[in-house]
Amino acid sequence: MPDKNIIVNAGGYEFSFAESEIAALDVLNKNAEDFSLIHQQRIIKGEVISAKGKNYKVEIDGERFQVQIKTQLDQILDTMGLNKPKVSKIKSIKAPMPGLVIEINVEEGQTVSENDKMLILEAMKMENVIKIPHEAVVKKINVVKGQAVDKGQVLIELE
Amino acid sequence: MKKILVANRGEIALRIMRTIKKMGIKTVAVYSEPDVQALHVRFADEAVCLGEAASSKSYLDMDKIIRFAKELGVDGIHPGYGFLSENAIFAEKVTNAGITFIGPEPDSITLMGSKLAAKDCVKKYDIPMVPGTDTAITDIPEAQKIAASIGFPILIKASAGGGGKGMRVVEKAEDFVEQMDRAISEAKSAFGDGSVFIEKYVGSPRHIEVQVLGDKHGNIVHLFERECSIQRRHQKVIEEAPSGILTPEIRQKIGEAAVKVAKSCNYVGAGTVEFLLDENLNFYFLEMNTRLQVEHPVTEYITGIDLVEEQIKIARGEKLSFSQEDLKIKGHAMELRVYAEDPLNDFLPSIGQITKYERPEGEGIRLDDAYEEGMEIPIYYDPMIAKLVTYGKDRIEAIEKMKEAIKAYKIEGFATTLPFGLFVMDHKAFRSAQFDTHFVKNYFSKEHAQDWQKAKARNAALLALAHWNANQSKLKVSEIENSNWKKR
Repeated sequence: MPDKNIIVNAGGYEFSFAESEIAALDVLNKNAEDFSLIHQQRIIKGEVISAKGKNYKVEIDGERFQVQIKTQLDQILDTMGLNKPKVSKIKSIKAPMPGLVIEINVEEGQTVSENDKMLILEAMKMENVIKIPHEAVVKKINVVKGQAVDKGQVLIELE
Repeated sequence: MKKILVANRGEIALRIMRTIKKMGIKTVAVYSEPDVQALHVRFADEAVCLGEAASSKSYLDMDKIIRFAKELGVDGIHPGYGFLSENAIFAEKVTNAGITFIGPEPDSITLMGSKLAAKDCVKKYDIPMVPGTDTAITDIPEAQKIAASIGFPILIKASAGGGGKGMRVVEKAEDFVEQMDRAISEAKSAFGDGSVFIEKYVGSPRHIEVQVLGDKHGNIVHLFERECSIQRRHQKVIEEAPSGILTPEIRQKIGEAAVKVAKSCNYVGAGTVEFLLDENLNFYFLEMNTRLQVEHPVTEYITGIDLVEEQIKIARGEKLSFSQEDLKIKGHAMELRVYAEDPLNDFLPSIGQITKYERPEGEGIRLDDAYEEGMEIPIYYDPMIAKLVTYGKDRIEAIEKMKEAIKAYKIEGFATTLPFGLFVMDHKAFRSAQFDTHFVKNYFSKEHAQDWQKAKARNAALLALAHWNANQSKLKVSEIENSNWKKR
């Protein structure tokens, strides 16, 4: 029988392990609060905070990770309808952090090209120049100079 | 002194008030509207609201602070660090109002506040300095010529700057004009003074600073050095005392140089003289900070001296109770600034509500903080949440203690610099004390950081898999047992 793969998503990263590899993991301590195992001669220690089916929350060195285990069956179910085409162009410029708009360098209707300065956002007294990754037309500017913005807020809409 | 107003917020306001209380003096807190529930307010004996969130309408409003101080019968004002701590006009206004300013004389603040004037002042004391312009730049094309003659990369610095603000590295000539514009504009908006100067950019610099204390009777001592080379965006994240690299001879020389700098401006109070150390252990005078530093706790740990208490005693006119010979380094201390920033995303601010907060505790661990679970990190002020400080009999012990403390310190709701602290404490270059201010650039670039994070996530994945697998096989075993039982 060919070795099946299990895909694991941990903290936003995806890993693939062979089932045989998982079966070979040596668990040293099965206690959830003080879980430890040996993998390639290295001891991995941590805490299983919660385990709901295949959804885990684990803590290593004080840092927490969300872990999702996907067996081959889960993977097949996943691929049904989940193959979205990749969006390569951005439709808007969002604030990467909370801050204050201190300068707007473009106007509505203006055509901008890659790396053009769009606006300057001041956060924690640092001026951050927000540039555009590709050519676009400025559709709408939703902020004014001097405005405080939240993280993720749409600043400029593009065409 | 019977009542001291602390013109600051957050962990430093709290830390200063602790000492004031210990000395049997009453405390007055000031706060802005969003800080009404802040811990420094709750800790104080009296508190007054200064106004709106924006610093200019609250923590920077000198006249309002002084008016409240007079109304409440305050006889001393401690400015902390940041805000009004290095504002000579404030120091003067406080003094003119008949209140003691817990800090240096306004003249020393003005002099050392201008990096150019400071350079000029210490010249006669034979203190080594980095090559560069010694006057402010007004003419950009002219500056471009000077930059070319010094050789790129060069550093643009705001004369009134500090903490990395208004400072820009220019790698090549074609970026010069744009960087110059940005630096001037940043300097204008942050300090109200657009004058900048340029300096040669030293290749592998280490940031070493020396703590000094001067009383009103002409006595000045130094309390050894702090190493602050682990920085991001030219701002310190990890500091330690003593430095892991200075020899006793250099330690003595740099200490003496710092005392001379303090003498050059008749310094009174606690101050810090910053130096740059090159790869051959030559040191150059950078600037003097005329206030208590963020990282002062590491010095307190290794000398056993409470710097805030000394500041207050000096302000009361007392003589220093110790001489240079009385001061000895004992052990090693390490500090991590815990910022609400995402180390995996270029240390960009990552603010929000603290959904979980557990403080590390134990011997050799000091946590200067001012937050509790459920609180929000306001966007209006510095994103520092806390200073985690550890102490050990030697450097490695302090490092190991720091690792233990980081692991025990739980902050959830947003990203912090805690995992980065662990990365540094485990790093070969840091453990061997062979690093410079490019540590982050060299070892923690975005790609490095991602690889490191991915390796940790992989361990988390393995841990969950092992747990899951163990539970699966438990089920299987019991099934087999059942079936065997049935067969019999």
